[in-house]
Amino acid sequence: MATKDEGAFWSIIGYLLSGFLIWGGIGWLADHFLGTHILFLVGMLMGTVASLFLIWIRFVKE
Amino acid sequence: MSVLLAKAESGFTPPSAADFEFQPIFGHSIYFTKPVFMVFLSVIVISVFFITSARKAAIVPSRMQFAGESVYGFVRKTIGEEVIGPEFMRFMPFLFSIFTFVLVNNLFGIFPLLQFPTMSRIGFPISITICTYLVYHFVSVKHKGLLPYLKEICFMPGIPKPVYLILTPVEIATYFITRPLTLAMRLFANMFAGHLLLLIFTLGGEYLLHSGLIFKFMSIFSFGFAIGLTFFEFGIQCLQAYIFTLLSALYIAGALSDEH
Amino acid sequence: MTGTLAIVGFGLSTIGPGTATGLIFAAYINGVARQPEARSILQPIAFLGFALAEALALFGLVLAFVL
Repeated sequence: MATKDEGAFWSIIGYLLSGFLIWGGIGWLADHFLGTHILFLVGMLMGTVASLFLIWIRFVKE
Repeated sequence: MSVLLAKAESGFTPPSAADFEFQPIFGHSIYFTKPVFMVFLSVIVISVFFITSARKAAIVPSRMQFAGESVYGFVRKTIGEEVIGPEFMRFMPFLFSIFTFVLVNNLFGIFPLLQFPTMSRIGFPISITICTYLVYHFVSVKHKGLLPYLKEICFMPGIPKPVYLILTPVEIATYFITRPLTLAMRLFANMFAGHLLLLIFTLGGEYLLHSGLIFKFMSIFSFGFAIGLTFFEFGIQCLQAYIFTLLSALYIAGALSDEH
Repeated sequence: MTGTLAIVGFGLSTIGPGTATGLIFAAYINGVARQPEARSILQPIAFLGFALAEALALFGLVLAFVL
């Protein structure tokens, strides 16, 4: 049981990181091509929300 | 954004990433450097140790057999049986090879005379990670079929439809990018930082030893810290080998499980 | 010695999440040790708290690389 817990911690970090990478990356690219500055932060917040939601579904709801 | 933080004291050059690059031992080929030979050495060490420990297997084990069996039993019980479940025997050779290979290569970092963890060159963790990556995707595809597997990754049940637009990219990135990335980076970063830490205290102690009288006295603390951190590094190196194997086993277990 | 101030900022920003993670697991372990059957209730809460604290640390990491 304890080993499963350990795995959950690492996969939580993985989910958070991929949320930031994907949505922050999309926001950064949009900033780069549109010449704005706010979209990166919007993307980062969206990534936070998305990954926290995923973690909530995967590990908390059951 | 790069700024000049502080001018270094003249004389002492702090260890940097350049300390991790080795000249070729013979010839000019980049394939004949110290880390490459250490990988071959580790393979020889592992094979010799486990072949001799298993060759004269007896009911009352000799000391060698006991050592070999306890390492195998540890991987089998705490990683294989507990994480993967009833089908774990198929994956034991894979998990056991990864564990011993990473462990021995990490322990080279504090082994006298060698003193370099092979896994602090990013290429080696990446190649082991590629093995794990291929294995768990292959097992998933074989166990579930290609389309159901992709469907399971992209569309998790029990969510309103518009939310998929936000969640699906994150989920795909987790399975195909972040998992192997974090697996390789964790091992690499731990070994790199650990070796750098030991280098700083050893080189700093050596530099202090060659300066004024009070500083000579201070170098005792620096060397003391280096010795203490060597034991700390021993713990980290074992833990990293364990975590790498554990996460590989968890990914394989996720590939074999039917729900979510 | 050259470097970026962003890295120093990231170093400072890890203090908070590090402390938070420590406190969360201290409380979780305490709770499970006192009342082992409460594990199934406490575990999701601990995971969620860990995720929230860790999100801030990773936010700092990404911003240190980008800004």
